[in-house]
Amino acid sequence: MSDVLSPQQQAGTDEEEVYRPPGPRRGSGIVVFILAVIAAVAIPALFFVALEATFEFMESQNLSPILTGFVAILIAVFGVFGVYTAVDLAIRRLPGTLSERVRPYAWAGPAVVILLIYLVYPAVNTIQLSFLDATSTNFVGWANYEYVFTDPAMLRSLRNTLAWIFVVPVSAVAIGLGFAVLADKLRRLESLAKSMIFLPMAISFIGAGIVWRFVYAFRIEGSGEQIGILNAAWTSLGNAPVDWLSINGWNNLLLMVIMVWLQTGFAMVILSSAIKGVPEDMLEAARIDGATEVQVFWRVVVPNIMSSIVVVFTTMVIGVLKVFDIVWVMTGGQDGTEVIAERMIRNMFTFRDFGRGAAIAVFMFIAVIPIMIINIRRFREEESIR
Amino acid sequence: MKLRSRLAVLATVPIVLAACSINVYEEGSFAGGGGGGGGEGAAVNQEPDTGEIAIAGAASGDEANAIQGVIDEGVNDVQDEFTATYTGSDSFEQNVIIQIEGGTPPDIGFFPQPGTVIEQAAQGNAIALEDMGFDIADLEARFGEYLMSLGEYEGKHYGMPDTVNFKSAIWYNVPAFEDGGYEIPETWEDLIALSDQMVADGQTPWCIGTGSEAATGWPATDWMEDIVLRQAGTDAYDAWVAGELPFSSPEITAAAESFGDIIFTEGYVFGGAENISSTDFRDAPDPMFNDPPNCLMHRQATFIPAFFPDGVVPFEDYDFFPFPTIDGNEGVLMAGGLAAIFSNRQEIVDFFDLYTSADVQCLYGKQENTTTMGANVDVSPDCYTQNELIGQASIPLAEAIAAGTARFDASDLMPPAVGSGEFWNGMNEYTNDGPDNLEQVLADIDAAFPSDGGGGGESEAPSESEAASESEG
Amino acid sequence: MSATSPPVEDTQSGKGIKGTEGGVTNTGSRNLVRVIVLVIVLIWLIPAIGLLITSLRTPAAIESSGWWTVFASIGDTSQWTLQNYREVLESNGFAGAFLNTLVVSVPATIMPIVIATFAAYAFSWMEFKGRFLMFVFVVALLVVPLHVALIPILQLYNGGPLFDVSWLAPVVSFLTPWEVVTVEVGIPLDLNGTFLGVWLAHTGFGLPLAVYLLRNYIGSLPSELMESARIDGADHYAIFTRLIIPLSVPALASFAIFQFLWVFNDFLVALVFLGETADVRVLTIALNALNGQFQNSWHLLTAGAFISMVLPMVVFFSLQRFFVRGMTAGAVKG
Repeated sequence: MSDVLSPQQQAGTDEEEVYRPPGPRRGSGIVVFILAVIAAVAIPALFFVALEATFEFMESQNLSPILTGFVAILIAVFGVFGVYTAVDLAIRRLPGTLSERVRPYAWAGPAVVILLIYLVYPAVNTIQLSFLDATSTNFVGWANYEYVFTDPAMLRSLRNTLAWIFVVPVSAVAIGLGFAVLADKLRRLESLAKSMIFLPMAISFIGAGIVWRFVYAFRIEGSGEQIGILNAAWTSLGNAPVDWLSINGWNNLLLMVIMVWLQTGFAMVILSSAIKGVPEDMLEAARIDGATEVQVFWRVVVPNIMSSIVVVFTTMVIGVLKVFDIVWVMTGGQDGTEVIAERMIRNMFTFRDFGRGAAIAVFMFIAVIPIMIINIRRFREEESIR
Repeated sequence: MKLRSRLAVLATVPIVLAACSINVYEEGSFAGGGGGGGGEGAAVNQEPDTGEIAIAGAASGDEANAIQGVIDEGVNDVQDEFTATYTGSDSFEQNVIIQIEGGTPPDIGFFPQPGTVIEQAAQGNAIALEDMGFDIADLEARFGEYLMSLGEYEGKHYGMPDTVNFKSAIWYNVPAFEDGGYEIPETWEDLIALSDQMVADGQTPWCIGTGSEAATGWPATDWMEDIVLRQAGTDAYDAWVAGELPFSSPEITAAAESFGDIIFTEGYVFGGAENISSTDFRDAPDPMFNDPPNCLMHRQATFIPAFFPDGVVPFEDYDFFPFPTIDGNEGVLMAGGLAAIFSNRQEIVDFFDLYTSADVQCLYGKQENTTTMGANVDVSPDCYTQNELIGQASIPLAEAIAAGTARFDASDLMPPAVGSGEFWNGMNEYTNDGPDNLEQVLADIDAAFPSDGGGGGESEAPSESEAASESEG
Repeated sequence: MSATSPPVEDTQSGKGIKGTEGGVTNTGSRNLVRVIVLVIVLIWLIPAIGLLITSLRTPAAIESSGWWTVFASIGDTSQWTLQNYREVLESNGFAGAFLNTLVVSVPATIMPIVIATFAAYAFSWMEFKGRFLMFVFVVALLVVPLHVALIPILQLYNGGPLFDVSWLAPVVSFLTPWEVVTVEVGIPLDLNGTFLGVWLAHTGFGLPLAVYLLRNYIGSLPSELMESARIDGADHYAIFTRLIIPLSVPALASFAIFQFLWVFNDFLVALVFLGETADVRVLTIALNALNGQFQNSWHLLTAGAFISMVLPMVVFFSLQRFFVRGMTAGAVKG
């Protein structure tokens, strides 16, 4: 990570701190770095200034808000591409190999610069807060981390989150992949069928919460008709109604079902487009060799889309680590359904203990390292094949 | 020196980004942007008026309309210096923290939990009423000393009561009471005797439901508070709230056992104790109106008739009586809001002078679909023309405020880790698992108190002993 | 393109998956596929159908009977109502909120995509020092929860210091003989409550996933393509605009859908950076304002949820035609 920060740091530090890569290009290293930083910063800066100026101009003209919005959209949409193009043109005029060496930073740099502000800065801030007390006034050492690993509710949340990580991504990827493959063979109704799986993604979270409350709703026997479909089905079989979301253990699984319902569409869309990217001739070659469809799937399709599967899986694991709204809305983390992100939000905004909330967030940063290692390995493999 | 240059450069990124003027602050002078200001040394009315006052609060929907209705009629329409706008949000309590910390607090926040106001005072975000130029004696005359004391921190007042609610109500099925010849109980013993009589008559006395999604358990904490307030008395109640009287003390344990007498006695609660936390508090009273009724009584604050089935008529189908006395002790449990001020302007003082006057507070009685009451003690019961039940409820509340026996919902006063956390959880465990675990449940709640013994946000670092006691649980 | 057979042909020929004769496909297994797909679709749809039906019922009916019971009494008109939709649509400032949502969503979808596509190309096909680490760094930021970013970014928007490093001063003074003077530098950005502020926030929060997904796709494009283009004398910019972007349409479209949905349905970011005032509030905030604290107005929420679903579904349908098989394969050959 130090490498990433280096453009910013090195540009301003004194000579002796600058790390110089060994090799023939030694002399121009600093020049490249300075130019790289300028390019990386210039793109977001130019874009920002252009937008800000537009807004100010439009406001000073007292135009209708609809027109202002429309023009702003145009500038935002085309301006960002235009700024990249302009900076690229400028870089082309750099002498010799310099332009080729600076250009990558102008392309990748702006993303890094924006992330430095929007995510790295808050992350650093969070790490700092995690060593301070509830109101961020006194240094408390490791006390907040001790809380993360000793508080009974925290321990339950760690256990539950682990279960979520095992259940949700696997189920969503399996269903999403299976459905993408099957729907792919439908042709005529493929688009419609896929839309139905995708549908939950379009439902706002508030909507999803209501939908599932109606699935799991419970009423005491004898106090009126069951309005939850699960209990209606259950009682029609002659059983007593069950408060599904308060049965320890099962309630966690029922919450995971909601996440799978919501997220399978994501897996399906990404994997479906990956499947469609598998070259036709490979599939045909396999079939000509006498492979069954199942064999084609496992030996041709899956290896070909492996990188997409890893990507979807990674995204889901991280999504699950951060999941809190399902739990928040359905059970509020009661009856043993705590998850770590829910604990983080609860500590920060309900208990207003920023130190503990931050410590949980830092734990989340660390928990994702194993999955990042898998990605790094895959990234390296891909590079070496090329 | 090296470090210094690096620090400057780290911050270069946004300078270039913004390409506009740069403010260099002296260390520590950054106090959270506009509005914050801070308590100590703030000169009276240091900021110029803007003509707009932004108020944020937790009450939304109809309750928000009521608040805005009162403000419009009583404040905005009677002067043209400024306009006050109320914005209610379900997620107010989270949002306002983000806004305050981010440097854009509302001018005024209507906080449902006085503990939050104290926290904001302790952190120097809220502005003391004294520093705004309010006359505290005058305010105490308007609201009573107790309500004003809720917002007191280090000798200054930070909380301005904005509304109140009556919580100590027991709702009952009127026809069933008439048919059974049941009398309104005056004392706890009467209440138990009445419940026994109902059971003997083949009826179920109580409907209790504490389900409330993320806040499940809070209606049970209200039960506890009503009992503690009367059984242990106001002094013990105050000590309990302050964290000085632990949950495991004999007084609080006794109150929990009295609550247990209601919920664990065979035949008392419809659905049994184990279904209490599974029943949504909004649905809980519904069985009282089934034919035949599944239960005859339901203890809940005055907002609950909004959730009664369509078509039931007040006084005909249902009515309420105040929670009975215990050992002769009177008391009324109340809730409401405390306003904290984040911007020091003369117009905000003017706003409150108008808003808290008895005439304006009386307007709450004319608002539709609300059970909110004016916080001013001089608001007459006759104000409540929209909802006579509220007028009735305002009588015992006003009496109790005058007698000094009214107390604010304890869970809203305790540190949030207890009052919005372990107290709820503990009550759920108690109702779910039965009376055997009570000792452990109460000890767990005690363990959730910040180690300095409560009193809002400025807790010390969590000590070793706290971590240890938590891990025991 | 011509290398792939048009889908229509297969449907009409009625045999052979992907238009081949070599597979084991027959009518029986095709029917099995249909049945399985149908079952999954049904399971997925049940909750959503519940939402739709609930949104069309009166509050009393919602509370008194399950939504599936309407099938038994479909003719009972007393339980049906359009009032929920009317109430939502006629609520104060609904049209304005819808417009605001569009003004927020469109740039907040396009901006991260453009920035991420450039970055993804650089990470995939350019050689530079620190490339690997920069990519890992970007992806690692996926894990930063939005909630920890809200307060610092809001402070920044209000002119707070970027990196508050004043706490370092006593540490350095303790460890070294130097006396450290920290100077906090801030800029009065005044971005709070502006569309620009919320666009940038969504861009920042959406970038890691965008870079991650797009690099995965762009990186997996066949390298022969780039080689041959380069032999033809094309530079990176030409390759990017003429080759990569057209080839990446399926990936760009799928990410666009997700980012759009996310922004469209977002409540928190809009609330924190844009606020609840009527002139700027978005749809989710307007809907939330309709719903009372103790009054869980499920009838309004379901209707509102359905209304806010319409546009994302239209976007999904219209972008779906970009998910076409063989765009890459065809291009390789062509």
